[in-house]
Amino acid sequence: MPERKLSRRQVIAAASILVLLVALLFVPKFRSEYELLNYTRFLILALMAQGWNLIGGYTGYAAFGNVAFFGIGAYTTGLLMISKWAVPFFPAMFCGAILAALVAVVIGLPVLRLKGHYFAIATLGVAEATREIADTWDSVTQGSTGIDLPVRSEGEFFYYSALALVVLGVIATALLVRSKLGYAWVAIREDQDAARMLGINTTPLKVLAFALSAVFAALAGGLTAYQNIHVTPGDFFKLEYTLQMIIATIIGGSGTIFGPVLGAGVYQLLSTYVWTKFIELHPTVLGLIIIFFIIFAPRGLMSLVSEGLKVVRGQKRFRWQGLLANVRAHRVT
Amino acid sequence: MSSAEFAQIAVNAILLSGILALVALGFSLVWGIMNIVNLAHGAFVVLGAYFTFYLNELAGVDPFVSIPLSMVTLFIIGFIVQRVLINQVVRAPLLATFLLTFGLEILIVNLVNYFFKADLRSVTTRYSGTGWTVGVVRVPYIRLAALGIALVLVALTAWFLRATRQGRAIRATGMDIDAARLTGVKVGTIYSLTYAIGAALAGAAGSLLSMIVPFDPNIGGPYTQRAFVISVLGGLGEVANVVLGALLYAFVDVFVGARLPELSQAFTFAALVILLVLRPEGIAGKKFYA
Amino acid sequence: MKQFAGCAALAIVAAFAVPLANPLPASAADTIVLGAAISITGKTAKEGEYTRDGYQFAIDTLNQNGGIKVGGKSYQLQLKYYDDETKSERTAQLFEKLVNEDKVNFLLGPYASAPTGTAAPIAEKYKIPMVEANGSAESIFTKGYKYSFMVLSPAKLYLRGIIDVVRKKDPSAKTVAILGENEPFSKEVAQGVAEYAKQLGMNVVYHELYPSNTQDVSSLLTNVKAKNPDIVLGAGHLQDSLLIVKQAKDLGVSPRAMGFSVGPSSPEFRANLKQDADYLFGATQWTSALKYVGEDVWKTPEAYAKAFKAKYPKYGVIPYQVAESSAAVIVYQKALEKAGTLDPKKVRDVIAALDFTSFYGQIKFDSRGVNIYKPMAVEQLQPDGNKYTVYPTEVAEKEALYPMPPWNRRASR
Repeated sequence: MPERKLSRRQVIAAASILVLLVALLFVPKFRSEYELLNYTRFLILALMAQGWNLIGGYTGYAAFGNVAFFGIGAYTTGLLMISKWAVPFFPAMFCGAILAALVAVVIGLPVLRLKGHYFAIATLGVAEATREIADTWDSVTQGSTGIDLPVRSEGEFFYYSALALVVLGVIATALLVRSKLGYAWVAIREDQDAARMLGINTTPLKVLAFALSAVFAALAGGLTAYQNIHVTPGDFFKLEYTLQMIIATIIGGSGTIFGPVLGAGVYQLLSTYVWTKFIELHPTVLGLIIIFFIIFAPRGLMSLVSEGLKVVRGQKRFRWQGLLANVRAHRVT
Repeated sequence: MSSAEFAQIAVNAILLSGILALVALGFSLVWGIMNIVNLAHGAFVVLGAYFTFYLNELAGVDPFVSIPLSMVTLFIIGFIVQRVLINQVVRAPLLATFLLTFGLEILIVNLVNYFFKADLRSVTTRYSGTGWTVGVVRVPYIRLAALGIALVLVALTAWFLRATRQGRAIRATGMDIDAARLTGVKVGTIYSLTYAIGAALAGAAGSLLSMIVPFDPNIGGPYTQRAFVISVLGGLGEVANVVLGALLYAFVDVFVGARLPELSQAFTFAALVILLVLRPEGIAGKKFYA
Repeated sequence: MKQFAGCAALAIVAAFAVPLANPLPASAADTIVLGAAISITGKTAKEGEYTRDGYQFAIDTLNQNGGIKVGGKSYQLQLKYYDDETKSERTAQLFEKLVNEDKVNFLLGPYASAPTGTAAPIAEKYKIPMVEANGSAESIFTKGYKYSFMVLSPAKLYLRGIIDVVRKKDPSAKTVAILGENEPFSKEVAQGVAEYAKQLGMNVVYHELYPSNTQDVSSLLTNVKAKNPDIVLGAGHLQDSLLIVKQAKDLGVSPRAMGFSVGPSSPEFRANLKQDADYLFGATQWTSALKYVGEDVWKTPEAYAKAFKAKYPKYGVIPYQVAESSAAVIVYQKALEKAGTLDPKKVRDVIAALDFTSFYGQIKFDSRGVNIYKPMAVEQLQPDGNKYTVYPTEVAEKEALYPMPPWNRRASR
């Protein structure tokens, strides 16, 4: 990549991000304990989405079972913490991430050979099977009864831990996708056969993306486990978590660095708002929102915003048809 | 396991495969022709079940009689849904259709939940639980009828796709949409027709299920999953393959269920993954569709 | 980069600006607020409604009778509840909300063991007592939590009464088959009755767990049929109990007696199965036919049922979830009146030491917080279309009918 001097735009961008970061740092001071929970949830979702973005967004393999790694992270963290060695939280969480990555490698090798829908359903199967194993392996996981981690009540601890991990995640994603690895991933997504012919060793790179997504999910799982205290297979291997991380990534813009974080924020905001206002019908409203996004903004908010900025800067004229361009492209008449 | 037990379990598996094949039939059709994995399929099954239940509860209509009615109703619903929603993302990347149909599923299930509440329902008739005892094996009548109806619908669908003009148009569109359009096929209508047929078949499955299991709005999701697995197992090239897929699935499920019921899902999925890795086109599918 | 800065800034500003919270309720100075997350919609919506009605009825009754006196001052009670949609992580979230935002005084439990398991750590976290009336899994109470109390009888006692009923009628009954749902409460129910049967010298010929939400138990029932047990017991929830009966009839599994931990006491059970529900036994925490005489505002189960029916006429038979929920509120009444303070820690200590009889039965907690002192009852659905309390025999309304005629030899109605 050619070296560039920092342009004015880039300085403004960097400054705004810093402002944002500081704002996020001060959230606990201005928000109640309960609202802090929501912010923490947003950060944890952002973490999961960032991981998914690597395999689903950049490499183009829509994994539908990442909640398996979330659960593995949760259980590993929990079991280590309540074991006779009483492992402290951060090392336990770290172990969870490593274990999840190993599982991802073992599973990824056969499963990443599949494509499209088949890959999706295979990963879905993995998640379901992992849940069942956690449900049945009573001697280790206590089965469906679940385990309880030590009680910890300071919401700020969880918030700052999640924030730190998300920031690290953004930095890691930025470094990875701007490296040769990132380009290789995109090459795999766009045209795997061509990539192979160009000498890119696709299998280890795909597996790496998958393993990294597992790490993010496992860290999120460990954090959630400690925060919720009570861990059961039913709660921690839910399909819902996979769907949330995918939807958050899509809303924000898959294949972008900040998309997952942005999408997680928007999703959490929408979800909380909808839940407070439409208690009985909130899944309906959420479903409608998902449908809306998929039809009108499948490349996420990032793309909408960049189009919008082009209009603002006068590089493009605003046309109502522009909004429907997505729809036209994908329709069949 | 004694031979009597084995025989009964085998019979259970065969009977189960009937209803599962029907559940998977509509799903497999839509996937094979439109390349759409319809995650809302289970919601249509649920609608079919409620339809039959209310027809029986409010008007005393026999559930078997209600099947054609349920199919017609779901056909109309499916047609409208495709025209209004699904059509907008038919050519979009895989994830878009996944998520759209998922959003649709949440919507339908929640609406059903809202209007009908989550109470468990089932259709119990005078002949529920009656069956035929053949030696050491017991064959419940309703399940046997369900198997029969399922096979008839599979055969009908396969015949329709092969022998009628519309059916051939559907297959042609599935194979090469542009070529089909060039020969004068109205592709938009074909897609709506296909999706509507898929919904109608789901409705029929739902109607049958209402007699067999106690249901509530939430049973849809797992059935979509089963439809997914069975379609893949059988292979997408030919709709009748769902019968093979359903047999394999039912056998694994029932036999594992006899010894390790808590791990039945894990085993079924393990079987699926192994099969996919070794033979991605499914048991009988053609490589073309993989 | 710039795009992100732009819209993310917008998002965060919006997040700060938009109040995510509901404003704090203006609670009167002399109100005690009891908070709970209950499943008003979702899978256990019906039972959640029973729970809510039970809480509300007790609170209304106490308020009408002058409220409760704490340290010389009169207080009115208020129920603050949210719908957790039968999703246990929602339950946890809502309990956090009740404690942190709504600042309730004390907590009441949700419906079912799984959500109670997620709520108990939260009560512990914030050191606020939670009296729960609908989660009977003892596993919740093995973690050393000090702030949770279980008013109802624990899971392991559920099916024991059915074995007692059968053995009384037929001492030669020896073999038992147990099917259990693979979740905390049902596992304990199954384990509890298996141990009891073995204690009595009976033979447990089958004891297997099936996955929650299973759609097919034919394999298990085929195995059970081969063993030809005298008694078949199901430890699950309403949906599985219905499924087991339907498939047992399909496969011709006809033991001498069949009973379930959850299901028969719900009106839905009879509604779904119609005449196939005849002769089936169901475990119940409480029925209005029992003959307790308590030290509370209603005193007897009969009086309670009458008063409740008057307030909620659309109920037919009063489900036990209603009664046990009211009992939880009574626990707070007794504890607060005795403690003379609203301090959570002191109230907690008083609850732990309570021992009194109520319309619901004896209420006393062991060192873990479990009420092991109240017995379970057994009901049977009989061919006249009604449900009768058949155990404990001293308070039984009618004799139990035994054995159950085989499926194919029943007169159809």
